[in-house]
Amino acid sequence: MRLLSLLGLLTIMLLSACSSQNSSQEFSTVTEQKWSEVEADAEDTTVRMFMWGGDEGINQYIDDWVTPNLKEKHNVTLERIPMDTGEILQKLQTEKQAGKQDGTIDIIWINGENFKNAKENKLLAGSFTSNLPNFNEFYQTDDPAFQTDFGTPVEGMEAPWGKVQFVFHYESEKIETPPASFEELKGWVQENPGKFTYPNADDFTGNAFLRHILYASADTPSDIYDSPLDEGSISETAEETWNYLNEMEPELWRSGEHYPNTLTELDRLYSQGEVWMTMGYNEARAESLINDGVFPETTRSFVMEPGSIGNTHFLSIPFNSTNPAGALTAINFMLSPEAQLAKLKPNYWGENTPISIDKLPKEMKEEFQSVDRGQSVLSQQKLEDSFLPESEAAYVDWMKEQWFDEVVQN
Amino acid sequence: MRHYKIRFYVLASFLFLFPALLLVLQSLSKTWRFQRGEGIRFQLDSFQVLLSDPNLWSATGWSITIGLLVLLINLVVGITTGKALTSLSFRGKSFIEAVMLAPILVPVLAIAIGLHLFMIRIGLADTALGVVLIHLVPTVPYSIKIFQNAYQQLGRSMLDQPVILGSNPWHQLVTIELPLMKPAIRSVTFLTIVISLSQYAITSIVGGGTIITLPMVFFPFLDTANASIMAAFSVWFAMIPFFLYMIVEALLWLLPYSKKMRRTTT
Repeated sequence: MRLLSLLGLLTIMLLSACSSQNSSQEFSTVTEQKWSEVEADAEDTTVRMFMWGGDEGINQYIDDWVTPNLKEKHNVTLERIPMDTGEILQKLQTEKQAGKQDGTIDIIWINGENFKNAKENKLLAGSFTSNLPNFNEFYQTDDPAFQTDFGTPVEGMEAPWGKVQFVFHYESEKIETPPASFEELKGWVQENPGKFTYPNADDFTGNAFLRHILYASADTPSDIYDSPLDEGSISETAEETWNYLNEMEPELWRSGEHYPNTLTELDRLYSQGEVWMTMGYNEARAESLINDGVFPETTRSFVMEPGSIGNTHFLSIPFNSTNPAGALTAINFMLSPEAQLAKLKPNYWGENTPISIDKLPKEMKEEFQSVDRGQSVLSQQKLEDSFLPESEAAYVDWMKEQWFDEVVQN
Repeated sequence: MRHYKIRFYVLASFLFLFPALLLVLQSLSKTWRFQRGEGIRFQLDSFQVLLSDPNLWSATGWSITIGLLVLLINLVVGITTGKALTSLSFRGKSFIEAVMLAPILVPVLAIAIGLHLFMIRIGLADTALGVVLIHLVPTVPYSIKIFQNAYQQLGRSMLDQPVILGSNPWHQLVTIELPLMKPAIRSVTFLTIVISLSQYAITSIVGGGTIITLPMVFFPFLDTANASIMAAFSVWFAMIPFFLYMIVEALLWLLPYSKKMRRTTT
């Protein structure tokens, strides 16, 4: 009897859940509206932005700058929800499977492999960047960095929010002139045994370090980033890469018997003075760590020949956002020159902007150019000169597998 | 005898108290480069970062609420099932026991994705109740096992005696079983709250960002090289099981025979 009533209750709940679906509007009807209508629709609504939350500078930029300014300008309330991108996609995937149309996420912060997965599994709302006034006005919309994301065509489904470039950090008190090429780096490591290491290939940063060596081993870096992964044609380059790494290995920290599992581990070694160099995406990331006393004050950064890999990260809208108008308004605002300028200043995040400085009004342009990003950050000119685009996402996985076989096992 | 006692305290404080003190010290100081002969530099920044997080208080509140609900359900399910498994004998009992332990053996994440799908259908996804239910998966098996053992230790005769004297089951539970099972209740309290508190993946998937618990604010910071912030978070994190344990301990005092144990037994 009791079991029967329980079953009955469950059925009722199931039915009621089914009937509440399909309530959200089609995304294209929102993007077809005039921009002023979108902004009017967004007024007095709440936008929920899901993003990785492990950096207090980034969190404070959202909480203390974006949220109050967005409220004041557009009367939109922004809620920041800390969640790892992997979990966000997992959640969306399950919701897609269950046919849940009224999701809880309005904006996600995404790029690279995650974007590829989300796009392939149709977890994103659709194309929207051409509707954003700020994107059209202040960005070079046909920039290859916005057209493809780790080799995946963007097709307007995500809007560029920031860009970062890979740099190495060193203690200038101990190293007078940092190496200028990967060959010189090997020489330096041999002269200073135990003072250099890199995170293993499973780590995002470690993998990027290894791809730099792959770029350096090729005739020109474009042999790698301009062509899809073909193991046959790059076998020679790969061979040279493994030789380089294996020759360096005995002189690494702990004689190369152990590699840090994450960039965090390498950063801690560096902060303790165990090793003299560290590395990472975001050319300005050392600034806040120096201010917090984690990195030594004499920390400076450098890039080497043939260049340094950079990538763009984006904002996107998931398929079951219940407030697409609000999401569009918020994204457009975060792309605005004011928001980008605040992001560039070192007091919150200090991250580079994908905006085209040349397209800005004169005063704004001057403000951007006068930002002092800090002593540990290389000049804009130097960064632009050494910029190299990302290769296809397939290289990342290939590197993970091969590195272990060729370098760790040997 | 006394000799052993001293040795115990020395060892215990070295292994348990000392690391905890180091953590507190780290949370109050900057990165300490002791290899370079630098001294400790004290600071309060890491706690300021902690307190400036707008989600901190609500996340702490959610963690406590969910932890208490999970504990309550665990006590009810654990006591009833534990008693049934000790006092009843039926066919297929060992099979049932094995099934009840299964959630510990299968990875929770594997179950969570299936359960999430189910919860979306019945409307429990993105709710606190859904999170409480999913937290039962990694906790209930332990509670059942602990209470089953506790009842076994009480023994058949102790359970038969009140029935012969004409007590009703509720009276029997409150005056005999619970007071005698205090150690088991303590173990379940601690275990349940610590497990519930540290669930990151299943909470974020089922809670869907609507329910933000402490690990969701805290775990992303595992990626930071700033050990002081990590330490501050850890200290904050550790206060919650401690605080809840005190509450449960206070509640245990309300049970009969707690205050003047010796006098009433003589």
